[in-house]
Amino acid sequence: MGRAAIAALFLAMTVIGINGQGNAVGQNAAAREPRIAGHPNFNGLWQAVTEANWDILAHGARPGPPQFGALFSEPAGVGIVEGNEIPYQPWAAEKQKENFKNRWTADPEAKCYMPGVPRATYMPLPFQIIQGDKQILIAYPFASASRIIHMSDVGESPADAWMGWSRAKWEGDTLVVNVTNQIEDTWFDRAGNFHSEQLNVVERYTPASENVIQYEATMTDPKVFTRPWKISLPLYRRLEKNAQFLDFKCVPFSEELIYGHLRKK
Amino acid sequence: MKLTHIAAIAALVLGMTAPAARAHHSFSAEFDVNKPIKLQGTVKRVQWINPHTWIWIDVKKPDGTTEEWGVEAGTPNTLFRLGLTREALPVGTEIVVSGYEARDGAKRANGRDMTFPDGRKLLMGSSVGNDAQSK
Amino acid sequence: MRPAALATLLVLALASLQAQTPAVKAAATGATKTPWGDPDLQGTWSNQTLTPLERPAQFKDKSVLTEAEAAAYEKQLVAAGDVDNRTPGTVQDVNLAYNQVWWDRGNKIVADRRTSLIVEPPDGRIPPLTPAAQKRREEDRKASDNEKSAASWLDFDVYSRCIIRSALPRLSTGYNNNYEIVQSPGYVAIMQEQMHETRLIPLGNQPHLTSTVRQWLGDSRGHWDVNTLVVETTNFTDEARGSTFQYATKNMTLVERFTRTSDRTIDYQFTVSDPDTWTRPWTVKMPWNRIDGLIYEYACHEGNLGLEHMLSAARAAETKSK
Repeated sequence: MGRAAIAALFLAMTVIGINGQGNAVGQNAAAREPRIAGHPNFNGLWQAVTEANWDILAHGARPGPPQFGALFSEPAGVGIVEGNEIPYQPWAAEKQKENFKNRWTADPEAKCYMPGVPRATYMPLPFQIIQGDKQILIAYPFASASRIIHMSDVGESPADAWMGWSRAKWEGDTLVVNVTNQIEDTWFDRAGNFHSEQLNVVERYTPASENVIQYEATMTDPKVFTRPWKISLPLYRRLEKNAQFLDFKCVPFSEELIYGHLRKK
Repeated sequence: MKLTHIAAIAALVLGMTAPAARAHHSFSAEFDVNKPIKLQGTVKRVQWINPHTWIWIDVKKPDGTTEEWGVEAGTPNTLFRLGLTREALPVGTEIVVSGYEARDGAKRANGRDMTFPDGRKLLMGSSVGNDAQSK
Repeated sequence: MRPAALATLLVLALASLQAQTPAVKAAATGATKTPWGDPDLQGTWSNQTLTPLERPAQFKDKSVLTEAEAAAYEKQLVAAGDVDNRTPGTVQDVNLAYNQVWWDRGNKIVADRRTSLIVEPPDGRIPPLTPAAQKRREEDRKASDNEKSAASWLDFDVYSRCIIRSALPRLSTGYNNNYEIVQSPGYVAIMQEQMHETRLIPLGNQPHLTSTVRQWLGDSRGHWDVNTLVVETTNFTDEARGSTFQYATKNMTLVERFTRTSDRTIDYQFTVSDPDTWTRPWTVKMPWNRIDGLIYEYACHEGNLGLEHMLSAARAAETKSK
């Protein structure tokens, strides 16, 4: 093949490359544009790599339900809470211990209830951020929880919701989400760490690199804690070529636990 | 309009049925058609939850004691879009509920018809109609 | 032909092929665009309408109403749908549940005054069901009639169990017919108020999931056809009552088309095909109208006292009959 032919073929490949932006490859590339409507681009499938859903505090390995042997036993973790302390009021510290004892049935995750914020962020499942030029939407697979991050003034929530009411603003390159109106029944983890309906969560999403978001959340709840406290952890982009958000509609998995006593004998 | 036109329209709408729509679950599997009930009481608490709002009322019995009844209503989201919030039905409000009793014998009923004692319908305070949102 | 000429031809051929890609075509039109150049469907929408799916028998072969007919028909539908005018003491009365204020069915038929949402076949009716599909419909009706003596939650449909509101594609129902669309480069996300799930539609030509992976809302792939978002969905599941659309099998194919026709309207069309269910594919056309209100979380499973109470009613009836 002559030099001209090679050059022409090279050109042909370039043409495919450029125009391919209208197709899958190009759209993935576009999704990786560093900025969108002037802000950092958080679009993508993200996942926390942490043992925090078992216990947000530092913990050693623990057994799971005995009938399953080593399956579902709990891996040790260094924790995600700053200072490794949740500042419970005395009554609340007792309540957490009670929750821990009953966790195999009392954890709302067992019942496939929407996990609330921030727990949805560090459950062991990837979640997808859809960041447009107007709104931001976060879809979590567990219990099909979705959350609209309102970027405009929508006022107060008319009622409480499992995933709360999210209103956000940009502080430089950090997306700051104020989450109010969460239902009191969600937990922070499988260890029974909990809050009341007065919980206010302020989340901060800051780009750390192309494939890492630094995530922080500050919890304030005067009914349960003596002071605000904070978690922080990185979120990693799922980089598999065929990475895809998949359903995790867990309702059918929870029905025996919830309604089993009402089954016809 | 000519009479023939009116007749033609009348013919068109004849035999028409209501649009198919159902509540989240079969209320006749939950409540007993043979047990209609009328309750008058004061609102104790309201759960503005989905799929159904629950209104809990204290009902005074003839012997002077009170009994708590749960009344099942519809999705609150529709009301939120009408501008109502959870403050729309404050604790202590006196209401009258006509409905059917639960099949399992518990003190629950569906809120087939909910009014204030003077007959005004509940939660209809807003001047916005149900369709103001879709233009 | 010399290699260089061949390569040049190849370049031209590829370039012209690529010029046909949807994104490039879309860029050539003047419709509202996102900053990254896709047609903009974003916002909060409702598919609420009073127009029935199928043309009612009384309209015979009339596909479009006159203005006067439409006004009268709307009035009639609104009156018929007002649950405050109902006959006490009937099962239907119990099933209508609560008074009118909680319902949100709408008060308008579609703006083009069609007598049915179905546009294909032209008679506005669902094509004949295959014998197998008729059997599935019969079984579902029987199951529905037997809910009062349900042995377990498995005897209820996906809506009563709070798994999904209904299979795709979505039709207008009694309330919360709302959707929020958010777009990003390479994705269209449709958040469905009922039941708080997001349909994530990747754009491009990635293949569908392998056929062994089934999802309650299937697996969607989208692309732009000029200004129209075309979404093909497969990989449905039939694992529960009501988990497929209109008695179809899990192998149904759904093709949806979303076209922004004005600031306040998306023209929504879908075609469903399933040779094991219908004798031919059929197509629906209905508007998604912008709403000025917000979408609120429709948590369902978390507060599903109804299912618990129906099961406890079934158990109570057994105790009584013993």
